[in-house]
Amino acid sequence: MIRALGVVLAALTLLIASPAAGLTVRDMLGRDVTLPLPPQRIVSLVPSVSEIIFALGAQDRLVGRTDFCDYPAAVLGKPSVGGMVNPNLETLVTLRPDLVFATDEGNREDTVQQLRRLRIPVYLVHANRIAETVDLIARVGALTGREADVSRVTGDMQRRIEAVRRAVAPFPRRRVLYVLWPDPLIVPGRESMLTELIEVAGGTSITATDGEAYPRFSLETAVARAPEVIILADHSTGASTAGRSAPEKWKRLTSVPAVQAGRLHSADLSILHRYGPRVPEGIETLARFIHPEAFP
Amino acid sequence: MSPAGRLAFVLGVMGVILVAVTALALFVGSAGLSPQAVARALAGRAGAESVESIVTLQLRLPRVVAAVLAGGALAVAGVAFQGLTRNPLAEPAVLGVSSGAAFGVVLAQIFGLELSFLQALGVATFAFAGALMAAAAVYLIAVVPGGLSIQTLLLAGVIVGIFFTSAITVLISVMDYNRLGGVIYWLLGNLAPIPASSLALFAVLALGGCWLILRSARELNLLALGEEAAVQLGVDAVRLKRRVFAAAALLTGSVVAFTGPIGFVGLVVPHMLRGILGQDNRLLVPTALVGGGIFLLAADTLARNIVAPAELSVGVITSFCGAPFFVYLLRTRYRVSL
Amino acid sequence: MAPLVEFAGVAFGYPRPALSREGGFSLTDVSFAIEPGEIFGVIGPNSAGKTTLLRLLTRVVSADRGEIRLAGRAIAPMAHAELARQVAVVPQDTPRPFPFTVEQLVLMGRYPHGPGRFFENDEDRALARAAMAATGVLDLADLPLEQLAGGERQRAMLARALAQQPQLLVLDEPTSHLDLRYQLQTAALLRQVNAEQGTTVLLVSHDLDLAAEVCDRLLLLEAGRIARIGPPKTVLQKDVLERVFRCPVAVDVNPTSGRPLVRVAWPSVSGAARGG
Repeated sequence: MIRALGVVLAALTLLIASPAAGLTVRDMLGRDVTLPLPPQRIVSLVPSVSEIIFALGAQDRLVGRTDFCDYPAAVLGKPSVGGMVNPNLETLVTLRPDLVFATDEGNREDTVQQLRRLRIPVYLVHANRIAETVDLIARVGALTGREADVSRVTGDMQRRIEAVRRAVAPFPRRRVLYVLWPDPLIVPGRESMLTELIEVAGGTSITATDGEAYPRFSLETAVARAPEVIILADHSTGASTAGRSAPEKWKRLTSVPAVQAGRLHSADLSILHRYGPRVPEGIETLARFIHPEAFP
Repeated sequence: MSPAGRLAFVLGVMGVILVAVTALALFVGSAGLSPQAVARALAGRAGAESVESIVTLQLRLPRVVAAVLAGGALAVAGVAFQGLTRNPLAEPAVLGVSSGAAFGVVLAQIFGLELSFLQALGVATFAFAGALMAAAAVYLIAVVPGGLSIQTLLLAGVIVGIFFTSAITVLISVMDYNRLGGVIYWLLGNLAPIPASSLALFAVLALGGCWLILRSARELNLLALGEEAAVQLGVDAVRLKRRVFAAAALLTGSVVAFTGPIGFVGLVVPHMLRGILGQDNRLLVPTALVGGGIFLLAADTLARNIVAPAELSVGVITSFCGAPFFVYLLRTRYRVSL
Repeated sequence: MAPLVEFAGVAFGYPRPALSREGGFSLTDVSFAIEPGEIFGVIGPNSAGKTTLLRLLTRVVSADRGEIRLAGRAIAPMAHAELARQVAVVPQDTPRPFPFTVEQLVLMGRYPHGPGRFFENDEDRALARAAMAATGVLDLADLPLEQLAGGERQRAMLARALAQQPQLLVLDEPTSHLDLRYQLQTAALLRQVNAEQGTTVLLVSHDLDLAAEVCDRLLLLEAGRIARIGPPKTVLQKDVLERVFRCPVAVDVNPTSGRPLVRVAWPSVSGAARGG
């Protein structure tokens, strides 16, 4: 079903294109983007899109990335234009891109406008749902002429996601607290894809209806909602302890079912914040935390 | 040498330095253009769509102009605040005026105003209002019969600055989480290229503000005698203070509106100039205009290239220079007695 | 000759809450005249209204009632710069901080004569140098004012006032912070300026000696009203002084100048009080 949707959308995207040399497409925020030619030199300011480009086999057309694009390892061989918030415009311009991928969640509107003023086409992406991720893969496939690979990638994703659903289906849903950042306590809300991923993995996020994307939350309320599984995202890297998940802090909350049952997990879960072909991997990780009994 | 002669001489020397720094800024950058390429672009002999044209004319040149205008405006605002408060430590960031202006800008952005010409005017208006509010708050907190207490002034500036910065964070976290990162980045000061029409507006506002202060430079000197004595010499002290105050707020607001809050330029540049020229505001204002431009342009060129291809915000460089400088001033020349 | 300064029925009160510790006061029905070329002194206890009189004359504040005239013209409608061209004030204290040099300070006195000029012209500079020479600070011209000793600073401030080329020179407590030597010097300087240039001098002081020696006429203020006005001999009399200053005084005559010499009548130190 999702695969079909993807193909239909890809076709629609092509239909909007004018038969002459240039094509006009509509990006994921509804803005029209005019490309004089099919893009051959793409700069991706979005790590997820960089992943997708490699997964589709279009990496030859990728000429620039950000410092945060780190998967697959081969992407590091592409020149970087700097950060997501402050890419270096000069470096970017030197790469002579004919298309730049950007997102409204991570890049600055100011950067997008600068690029527009420099007459560089900018294609904005936005994916908060699995379905939108599939749509994104289809769109990238259409733009890079790799339509044929889209169904391979999305089909594979779909199969793996279904497998997880089947594995956890027999078990009752567990209430899950996902801690994105420990202090201040930040959790995924309505608009976060994490909420859907948790749901697919056999859980229910206890913060599913709170706030928009990533609201702040109170520890009290978290305890009061008695989650059965607590998942802590650990952001510390190597020597730095900033963003450490601090599981010992949570172990003291002995009234919480998750703590009593020992279902307190801490891991580097940055994979869950990408919306690309690795989404099933993230769901599998979550499912193992939420329903370990389903994966003996 | 007469004051006018000295002024002309110093301005001449500084003009040469400005040209040199401008050339450096135009020729150096992440794009790795050869000097010939840049020269071609500047002369108009490179293709309009060529990399050197785009980088030189659309990225570097507007940035250079913005840096010179912003630096000059901030330095002159510093001279003005120092003359008004008779305190060499007063400058837009220290007095919290930059934060007030930044608050105005963030508010304007939340209302959807960006950088196209008319909207830029709107943003500048909000910034000006914010700057005035902050400056007025600091003044009212610090004024005592007989003038402005130096200690209270600095403390008031810190507090007003913190207040407005916190207000900004609240605004953003309430309104739009996604933009938080971008706004925090902007709060460090950011000399990204500005469209030409807005740049023209910026130039008008900045030079206009500087002109207003220059016209009052002689009277500002007389304020040093004390307000009563100045009145007795024929200075309309009340109007003078209002005029200079408003002009300095206008300058700060304009800079913040177009480049974000940048601190310490108004502290470092006037102080260095005083070392060469003395205290006469008639000499300080025009030289601060040029000197501030040189300083900020140099800082920005450094910020752009020191960790290429990443870019530091120019505010980082000015703070790293300015904060220790401020401490040095506080501890040596302007020791505040308990 | 027409008087240079005339106060006619002037009344003034600071707006409540009062600015002075004693709880606000006013000048009531003050009328007097100052003749051109004379040295005129205003004396009286603190908060009798001496400084207020100065402020009214230089229009730092405006009279509530009555009129003040300068050379026959009311000062109320005058522009500040115009007034400044005729009246120069030497304040009691030097401003702090004051980062300018002596010459820059004195040049400031030229402002009323050319407020539109951005830089001072040659004539301004010449007059400034003349004023510095007159008060003997010319060789200190390039020094920052703050580096000067008390007496030198006073002379520099006087030079600034002289550079204004005023018809009326006003001094507020000119000797209050000075060593005896400089007090004498200041008095001599005032007489010299008055004699050589015909400048009228108005002097506010609580130093009765200075007032007696230097001034042609005195005005004694008591709680905002004129207690007595006239030459020192008539004003500095025991009964009037005791009433106004509310303490016992003795008035002798200075044998050298013939002027009254006022001194506080100190109580005798009795043996009983000291126990010995």
